Amino acid sequence: MKDLIYTEGLKKYFKTPAGLLHAVDDINLRIPAGQTLGVVGESGCGKSTLGRTMIRLIDSTEGKVFFDGEDINTFDKKQLKHFRKNAQMIFQDPYSSINPRMSVSQIIAEPMKVCKTEANKKARDDKVKEIMNTVGLALRFYNAYPHELDGGRRQRIGVARALALDPRFVVCDEPVSALDVSIQAQILNLLMDLQETNNLSYMFITHDLSVVKHISHSIMVMYLGECIEQADTDELYENPLHPYTRALLSAIPIPELRREKRAEVIRGEVKSPVNPAPGCRFAPRCPHAKPECVGEKINEVQITPTHKVACVLYY
Amino acid sequence: MKNEKLLEIKDLYAQYNTDEDIVYAVNDLSLSLDRGRTLGLVGETGAGKTTTCLSILRLLPERIGEISKGEIIFDGMDILSLSEDEMRKIRGKDIAMIFQDPLSSLNPVYTIGMQIGEVLKYHGIYKDDQAIENRVEEMLDLVGLPKERKNDYPHQFSGGMKQRVVIAMALACEPKLLLADEPTTALDVTIQAQVLKLMNELKERLQTAMILVTHDLGIVAEICDDVAVMYAGSIIEKGRIEDIFEGQVHHPYTVGLFASIPNLKVKTRRLSPIDGLMPDPADLPKGCTFNPRCPHRMEVCKTEEPPCVMIGEEHMVKCHLFASKEGGRP
Repeated sequence: MKDLIYTEGLKKYFKTPAGLLHAVDDINLRIPAGQTLGVVGESGCGKSTLGRTMIRLIDSTEGKVFFDGEDINTFDKKQLKHFRKNAQMIFQDPYSSINPRMSVSQIIAEPMKVCKTEANKKARDDKVKEIMNTVGLALRFYNAYPHELDGGRRQRIGVARALALDPRFVVCDEPVSALDVSIQAQILNLLMDLQETNNLSYMFITHDLSVVKHISHSIMVMYLGECIEQADTDELYENPLHPYTRALLSAIPIPELRREKRAEVIRGEVKSPVNPAPGCRFAPRCPHAKPECVGEKINEVQITPTHKVACVLYY
Repeated sequence: MKNEKLLEIKDLYAQYNTDEDIVYAVNDLSLSLDRGRTLGLVGETGAGKTTTCLSILRLLPERIGEISKGEIIFDGMDILSLSEDEMRKIRGKDIAMIFQDPLSSLNPVYTIGMQIGEVLKYHGIYKDDQAIENRVEEMLDLVGLPKERKNDYPHQFSGGMKQRVVIAMALACEPKLLLADEPTTALDVTIQAQVLKLMNELKERLQTAMILVTHDLGIVAEICDDVAVMYAGSIIEKGRIEDIFEGQVHHPYTVGLFASIPNLKVKTRRLSPIDGLMPDPADLPKGCTFNPRCPHRMEVCKTEEPPCVMIGEEHMVKCHLFASKEGGRP
């Protein structure tokens, strides 16, 4: 299958007073058309920065992002505007990512106005109504303001806005983490339906391993800016290799009684991503840490053609 | 000590009077909690979970919030008849609360040592400053933070550590009842696992009764003894944890809630959410509040409030389906 978007050695460093913050470090990933890549990690692991770099909301420090075979970092203003039509983003917080002073219809129409995709106001209004229908927003909210709506409906506005330009690639940055479970399930089903009808590619960023399982075809686990494991979804859940992936999986509270005592809770917290020492960044918390974990860069080991892991246990 | 009632809420109604509407946040809620037990209060946003907790502490927003009916008996005292001064002596000492967002429940301009010490100072449990200082260090130790960090400010801590500080504050006076409002929602899974483990340990050690408000049934399974499921301000099902997780008979809403959770073990891709949305608490449906979304709706559900049916010894379901034996099962 042809990859719609892929990266080569993508890096994003931020200069901070304390030193260089490695937010995204040497990421290689590919997303075929019509598929979903789940990106999983805890807060501060650089998954949102990765998402933003993928659609050039922020410029990368090094490395390349190819969309449809073209490097997006070489785009000039005009090309970039064209690219924006193809690549959109759904943000995490439906409360702060939409303008409280614009009505629902204005919010959804805004991208079409900016990119001039519809000929006139009438066409735009029709399209707004069509999209509201698609995402399940009742037309009586057409002139409503965001504060009148609950979180689930607001997130539907976020989805509608991202779809207004008929994109081919959408970065979903924790789109359901602010929502209740029953609403969360509705939004996830909506995203999957839209993927089927529009052949959309998603990059689905989340910290919730049970959510990502339902929507993703393959999953990448990040820790402090690095990809530590990547595999097809079923493979990752059946055969997690990296100690961090295992820890993440065992940390999920499962709504069932009397299962065997929870595997050891990993200790400590995520270390600072500023000027990280070479070697495995998870080593300070890892129950299997060995002397060879520190000092040298940990290489990715290809276990199967679709499963790779960066850990000395599999050298 | 065992099986002694610590808290009993009878037919509680709480409402918010806004300019336009009256929001009926809690409707006819009854529950009881024994010493040392943990009750999970489960429900979605707007189910009235937080309002219930705030009612127990009498912290509903002034002028707007109002407890219109009902009784709250805590440790033999009628909470609703106490004066504000008497109430202040209870808050933080006998009943403490952990709020959802550790970021906004700490004061950014005071050190965490001062903030933990403040509650001790206020309730006058320790006479001199040195004793308070010692107790603060003891509490930090208890929640797994280094003592030296008592002079640090909240912004110097990570989210998980801040929540540990908040837990230390809440437990400083060894309350009889701890109200924990979504204590781990703002945290990462591995940190959440640490905090849950800590809360479980502290619960055993201090024998504190706890009401844990959450929307996550996984957390309930891990930490609670009893469960109450809330919908639109009422408890629609309650029982021991075994009744809720392994019982055969459930309220249709509870069934829907379980079906909405992405399950790690099942391979289906599509989830089966409950159709529709929570009803507007200012305009609740007649009869059973869940009836517009219920797959088993009957005529009687639209007009009559369902009775509380006892399924087992402690297992209660508020639903017409179980009202009579002929009612059939979902």
